Amino acid sequence: MSDLIYEVKDVHFSWPGKFPALCGVDMTIRSGEKIAVIGANGTGKSTLLHLLDGLIFPHHGHVTAFGERLLEHSLFDEQAAHRFRRRVGLVFQNADIQLFCPSVREDIAFGPLQFGVTEEEVNRRIREVAQVLDIHHLLDRVPHQLSIGEKKRVAIASVLAIDPDVYLFDEPTAGLDPLTVRHIIDFMVNANRQGKTIITATHDLHIIGEIADTVYVFGRNKRIVRGGSAESVLNDRALLESNNLIHIHRHHHDGKEHVHQHLPLEQHD
Amino acid sequence: MNKLLHKRRDFIERSLLSALAFLKDATLSEECANRKGFLQSQDPRFKTISFLAFLVTAVSLKSAVSIGTLYGLCLLLAVFSRIPLKHFLTRTLLFIPLFSLCIVLPALFSIVTPGEPVWTFHVLGINGIITRPGVDGAILFVVRIATSVSLVVLLSLTTRHSELLKVLRIFGVPQLFVLTLSMCYRYLYLFATMVENIFTAVKSRVGVVSHHRHGQKVVAWNIANTWNRTTHISEEVYLAMLSRGYTGEPRHLSAFHATPKEWFWLLCAVIICAGLLYKGDTL
Ligand SMILES: Nc1ncnc2c1ncn2[C@@H]1O[C@H](COP(=O)(O)OP(=O)(O)OP(=O)(O)O)[C@@H](O)[C@H]1O
Ligand SMILES: [Mg+2]
Repeated sequence: MSDLIYEVKDVHFSWPGKFPALCGVDMTIRSGEKIAVIGANGTGKSTLLHLLDGLIFPHHGHVTAFGERLLEHSLFDEQAAHRFRRRVGLVFQNADIQLFCPSVREDIAFGPLQFGVTEEEVNRRIREVAQVLDIHHLLDRVPHQLSIGEKKRVAIASVLAIDPDVYLFDEPTAGLDPLTVRHIIDFMVNANRQGKTIITATHDLHIIGEIADTVYVFGRNKRIVRGGSAESVLNDRALLESNNLIHIHRHHHDGKEHVHQHLPLEQHD
Repeated sequence: MNKLLHKRRDFIERSLLSALAFLKDATLSEECANRKGFLQSQDPRFKTISFLAFLVTAVSLKSAVSIGTLYGLCLLLAVFSRIPLKHFLTRTLLFIPLFSLCIVLPALFSIVTPGEPVWTFHVLGINGIITRPGVDGAILFVVRIATSVSLVVLLSLTTRHSELLKVLRIFGVPQLFVLTLSMCYRYLYLFATMVENIFTAVKSRVGVVSHHRHGQKVVAWNIANTWNRTTHISEEVYLAMLSRGYTGEPRHLSAFHATPKEWFWLLCAVIICAGLLYKGDTL
């Protein structure tokens, strides 16, 4: 199949110090799909995105990207590395880590410059992404002094400047105000409309309806416990509850106690 | 008694925090560099070269009057760069006495600098003689220090850190060194913020820093923790660089533009320095 982007087969991965993070994950991702990976803290979502971005490599099983095995030594070659990295962009969970240049402008320019894009074109891209993400006023600031929401937008801008085919988002909306969340989701949906593949790791169930057609639920055994359409997963309350994604709420209203289930952050009635 | 102790501790804490805020502001703030003034509009490369020239001149001149002229020029530049003079003077003049007093004081006396006596006094059975060359030397020294420090402070005030680092790169300082410097700068900021946070965090939990032994433990633990975090972060930063196509030699924007204005400024600086060096010592 030509539109196959990722094929993940029985992948196992442990962090140094024997912290198992993935124990047998299978997944198939096609071009233009919207995928969400959900699961409680520490179930291996970020680890999976790192694998898909070719930053770490499975100890067992394999990942195929764009029809080629993703192997550590094949990315040693500069040409091969650039070919792959130009097509895949990862927005890290921690924007502080992603932004390492002395100014926002240079952070945005970093990716394209590595790929040998001319300075003129780089400057054009900086203007363009600044427009899209509304960060014109931040261009000459120092990244680590920005607010969390501002950092997130700059981090997304630094990936957008590369213009990859596949976007990997790690918790893109955690800790942001509602307007910024809206802005970022609009950006993701728009990118997908233009044919980009987006893969998001999150535990914010409210945004899933918009940013995913297919949802994979990661369980505490560090495997996929369920994969399916967004609707079928979101409607499976028992599944979500047993995976710490919704919780039973117990609280007092006018002196009476009542108990009900609800999604994280859902409005009470 | 307890109240007194409490008060004292509060005082120490407050002055510590304000000292920290001052440090952060003095070394890490880019507020002045972002103003629209004369020096801020100059190309960082030309600015750095001209300031180096001034510095060399200030150090080589042997007449206090001509070094004073340079100092005047420095103040004038500060004014044109919209830096409040009071702010500038407190920053530079505050710690100059620290530097110079211990060197200058002994040099005033006849034992160290022999010569024509200006003033003789008699304290506790010791005869003190202050000599003419001693006084001259002391004035020269203080003026020279004040001028050099002011020049360096002015340059760093009106230039963003990232630009200064880039200039270093252009002048051929190795990449590794510049990268290390920029990391240092980042950690300095991180460290200042961390100390502030520790204070607030401990305070919110315990009310006050309950006992200095406890405080010490908290600080030590935090430093250790920061160290661990730092190594972890640098590994992850490396992954982030890889992710965006880094393969060994980072490429950067060369965003500097030299206009006729810059060349004119450099010419002025060279003429001033040459003039002072040629005629200055006869003043
Ligand atoms: N750099 C690392 N070194 C050692 N262990 C790690 C490292 N990163 C993650 N782990 C471990 O791997 C497991 C999976 O972590 P991962 O970050 O992938 O989870 P996650 O699903 O992204 O969690 P969260 O929702 O909190 O972001 C965890 O048990 C974690 O302790
Ligand atoms: Mg994560």
